Amino acid sequence: MIDLILTIIGEILIAVGVFCSLVASIGMLRFPNFFVRLHAATVGSMGGSFLPIIGAGLIALGSDFPDKWMFFGGLIVAAIIVMLVSPAGSHALARATHRARVAPVEPKVTDHLKEDEDEKEGEKD
Amino acid sequence: MNLKKSIVPIFLAFVVYVVFSGSLSIYDISTGIVVAIVAGLLFSEILVKNVSKSLSLMRLGHLIRYAFYYFFVAEVQAHLDVIKRILNPKMPINPGIVRVPYEVSSDYAIVGVAGSIINTPGTVVIDIDEEKKLYYVHWIDVSTQEPGKCRQAICESFEKYLTKVFD
Repeated sequence: MIDLILTIIGEILIAVGVFCSLVASIGMLRFPNFFVRLHAATVGSMGGSFLPIIGAGLIALGSDFPDKWMFFGGLIVAAIIVMLVSPAGSHALARATHRARVAPVEPKVTDHLKEDEDEKEGEKD
Repeated sequence: MNLKKSIVPIFLAFVVYVVFSGSLSIYDISTGIVVAIVAGLLFSEILVKNVSKSLSLMRLGHLIRYAFYYFFVAEVQAHLDVIKRILNPKMPINPGIVRVPYEVSSDYAIVGVAGSIINTPGTVVIDIDEEKKLYYVHWIDVSTQEPGKCRQAICESFEKYLTKVFD
């Protein structure tokens, strides 16, 4: 009984993950510039990989092969590491792109970071 | 080599080892204890600055409460919001980079709040000014440009929990 419940919860998590990955890829195509596309990438990293990894772990726990706890534990640790490390990657990409000014922040409502950077450069000159 | 400082790193390393190996045999537990003690002693100087903070169970309780809030409320809301924007035929986005002041002080809390902001879809921390205590956040829907209101909309709820955990 408990095995069946774990398998069903795992399959639901994987289905949600598939949906999030699909929506994230549609967003990557539709959004206008690099910075807005990063938001779609975040949907892909939290909803699209964190949830399905945990779901796969629960399915492994619900089936009856030997060493199932090893698969469950490994997948949980992998999911937590994905959750802790993926923001560092997104932030590094965004910061480097903005500093190098290779991707325009267009369309935009406002860009306070560029204003402050320009102000600092003005003080140096 | 402060043994009291190393208690939390050793315990964490041991838990990760046992969870990862997924067995409770004598071989695994003894290897785990040896590896955890070596790793914990080596990294305690870098990881722990304040011993009483790291041993406080209250802070652990607040961290667990924050994890529940984060996964079941903040993440779900942000995902639904961005998914709606992606699938809407008109694509109602309103992007821009805004200043968001923060009030936490320790390094762990600053990184924790920034990581939480980046991991919720719709907001990405692009740069940080530690002297002025500002995050520069790329926000998908700039409804206000006033720093105080931005803080209320983006990071106040994360800060409320993480001050109790890390500060």
